[in-house]
Amino acid sequence: MSTGLEKQTPGEVTEDELEALIGDRALRRDDHLNAPGFVIRPDDVQDVLFDLRDEAGFDHLSCLTAQQYEDRYESIYHLKKYDDPTQEVSVVVPTSTTEPVSQTAEPVFRTADWHEREAFDLVGIDYEGHPDPRRILLPETWQGHPLSLDYDQEKPQIVTLSEHANPIQPDHHDEESDTMFLNVGPHHPATHGVLHVKTVLDGETVVDVDPDIGYLHRCEEQMCQQGTYRHQIMPYPDRWDYVSAGLLNEWAYARAAEDLADIEVPEYAQIIRTMGAELCRIASHMLALGTFCLDVYGDFTAVFQYAFRDREVVQDILEDLTGQRLMFNYFRLGGVAWDLPEPREEFLEKTRDFLDELPAKIDEYNDMVTSNEIFQVRCTDTGILEPEVAKSYGCTGPVARASGVDYDLRRDDPYGYYENLEWDVVTRDGCDNYARVLCRMQEVEESAKIIEQCLDLLEEWPEDERNIQANVPRTLKPDADTEVYRAVEGAKGELGIYIRSDGTDKPGRFKIRSPCYHNLSTLGVMTEGEYIPDLIASLGSLDIVLGEVDR
Amino acid sequence: MIEVPLQQSDTVLLPERIGELTGLDQFGMAGELLAAFLAAFVVGNLMLAMTGVAGPWAKRKITAAFTDRIAVNRLGPAGLLIIVADSVRLLSKEIIIPENADRPAYDLAPIVVASSALLGFAVIPMGSGIHLADPEVGLAFVFAVAGIASIGLVMAGYASANKYSMLGGLRAVAQNVAYEIPLVITGMSVVIFAGSLRMSEIVAVQQETLVALGPVAIPAWFAIVNPFAFVLFLLANFAEVGRNPFDTPEAPTEIIAGYQTEYSSVYFVLIYLGEFLHIFLGGAIIATIFLGGPDGPGPESIGIVWFLVKIWGVFLLTQWLRSAVPRVRIDQLIEIGWKGLLVLAFANLILTAVIVGLIA
Repeated sequence: MSTGLEKQTPGEVTEDELEALIGDRALRRDDHLNAPGFVIRPDDVQDVLFDLRDEAGFDHLSCLTAQQYEDRYESIYHLKKYDDPTQEVSVVVPTSTTEPVSQTAEPVFRTADWHEREAFDLVGIDYEGHPDPRRILLPETWQGHPLSLDYDQEKPQIVTLSEHANPIQPDHHDEESDTMFLNVGPHHPATHGVLHVKTVLDGETVVDVDPDIGYLHRCEEQMCQQGTYRHQIMPYPDRWDYVSAGLLNEWAYARAAEDLADIEVPEYAQIIRTMGAELCRIASHMLALGTFCLDVYGDFTAVFQYAFRDREVVQDILEDLTGQRLMFNYFRLGGVAWDLPEPREEFLEKTRDFLDELPAKIDEYNDMVTSNEIFQVRCTDTGILEPEVAKSYGCTGPVARASGVDYDLRRDDPYGYYENLEWDVVTRDGCDNYARVLCRMQEVEESAKIIEQCLDLLEEWPEDERNIQANVPRTLKPDADTEVYRAVEGAKGELGIYIRSDGTDKPGRFKIRSPCYHNLSTLGVMTEGEYIPDLIASLGSLDIVLGEVDR
Repeated sequence: MIEVPLQQSDTVLLPERIGELTGLDQFGMAGELLAAFLAAFVVGNLMLAMTGVAGPWAKRKITAAFTDRIAVNRLGPAGLLIIVADSVRLLSKEIIIPENADRPAYDLAPIVVASSALLGFAVIPMGSGIHLADPEVGLAFVFAVAGIASIGLVMAGYASANKYSMLGGLRAVAQNVAYEIPLVITGMSVVIFAGSLRMSEIVAVQQETLVALGPVAIPAWFAIVNPFAFVLFLLANFAEVGRNPFDTPEAPTEIIAGYQTEYSSVYFVLIYLGEFLHIFLGGAIIATIFLGGPDGPGPESIGIVWFLVKIWGVFLLTQWLRSAVPRVRIDQLIEIGWKGLLVLAFANLILTAVIVGLIA
């Protein structure tokens, strides 16, 4: 059995070739569980990354992890290939404790812009040559770097309120500027949470966009570092992408931690996980559709309510399965919390009913939304995101797939039970808001296919082989200095977790790679030069959840 | 003293009837004035009562029906008492006035918006003898006073000292200018048919039978005579009252609430009242010049019922569109107005003129 679409795998780059490519610039090896790692000097960053991107084809800067050890700071560039994400390489850049300065990777990958800002903000590494070295999650006036070892939590912080200035005011010849600075948010009907978009307008045209994030920053990484692997971390992922994508997030942590502790998950539990995750994806995409229509239609209209009505059915099923509607906390390391609810037939029946009714509902959406001509003129050719730009910004998920980037971790880096099921990866080449909406709607259909197959498998599974949990030690203590970066296909894209163990039962460093964070960083290139309504529509089509952006 | 007749038609207007009934007509000018005030009071309150029902209750119920919800159902039968509760709530709220607001303009704007719409009802024949005035320039008068609202919107947008209000105000003007012209020109094609701007005559012309299909007589309503003009007018009207798909001046998800962003409490109520009155005025104009006014089956005395049914029909249509149709972008809106509707409106006018010229 295989997935419907087989992607052509490009020539694999062997470790020897990588070693030869990096050559003398590699000071030593620092291999991670998921990828070979090369330690390089801070002033070789751009050089090495350019070579890896252009010579070896590592075109996806998946994540940048910054951390502080007793004797050094470290930036880890986790590189992958969009064509084959199982090929990974880590570039480790140590810098001294006294003078943590490292070369910026921004000219190589645009996504390094926000990543390095975050690394500076939370850990305190300076990136030399960075075009915009500001804090990103914390306020500008914050003192200290919270994830650095010498950070004083008790120190009171003063956050001043200063008026936002028009960043391109100096571009104009005199005081009488032609542009107007407009704060879209943090309290605005269409920002989908607490997002502040500093916008500069020329009439109705958007000339400059700067998303200001961090309003929902809840120190999730640090909280995870204070929890034990076995039980205390799992509740947190539910709170990242909190609108019904909970199980997908939990899987990201489960996958990383299971790889770290070498836990084998029983097949039966994998099927339940796969089904639950796809239910979450449907719920999440329904919400995305509903809120996008809210942005385009203007009010709480029929489409929004219909989307919520249909999502409600999924929520009910998830509630039956997990006992919760929002914060599921259903996955466990090595399995899931409990088996399908009894009576099983009833649950299977209910889920099947939902799947049976789904095609008719999708048709209804197609009638009401996607074939509406006003909707089409509003959405086509607005919010253009070219494939190369999407890759450079590290976009993943429906946002990348709607730009023709054929990248889906469920197929390309298989986990769970996906590789044994028949389904397709949806890609569209419209690159615009319309393509993103269609992409999500088609993904709902694909998810339904997956769930249907899972239901069949679950129904026929012999009763005495329903093993939902592997044997996992009560206390997990992975070997010190084991590092792993693992990602799953979340509702919004590649949701990755980096964990470094320090020999205790809690992670030494826990880093979350949020797909929304990357997708949001493209807002500027997507909307500059377009009208305000398109800015709002494009923001909606990115389908961001601020809980995941800010973490 | 020379008697200057306000109108010359043979229809009996409401002020005269009130004058006769109360005996006020014996007191000359003063009596006439008082009777006119009384009549205006009746009509004004009828319209205000309608908006009172429409805003807090009917709109909620209608939208809920479109969107699979229940809406208000706790206070009174079918939630009708929410009207009382909402009135108390809205009127008892604190007025928050922005520090930099341009005071007289900021305070006047809601009044201008609400009163301009109310003024338009003066010349609308509502049937059952409810008709305040019937000047020779009736239709032009309605368009003129409805247009005053634009000034109110600009005042609101500018005086609020808020960038979103400013954008909303600018959009409102751009939209009203772009759509008022096709609106008036389409209205003119009706005038060509009727041969008069006087509302009572426009209504009277439509009461003739167009075709008789056995026992069913199809009246010569202009919507039936010239459906093309009817659709054009309907479209331009939606833009004029700022409702989906043309609600860009408010556009809650884009510019918060446009020109009304900074209005609270009573001012907010006034602006909202004005908007609903405008929808109803739009409905009244459509009913009068395209749907035969108070014309309908049954005795002439129930004309007001048919008239209200038609107005509410138009209101229902706006709510339907609001629930189901996306909003066009501001540039597309202007494009539709100037490049589409205006051209079509002129084409319609010329065609109508040619046809009427050939037949008559």
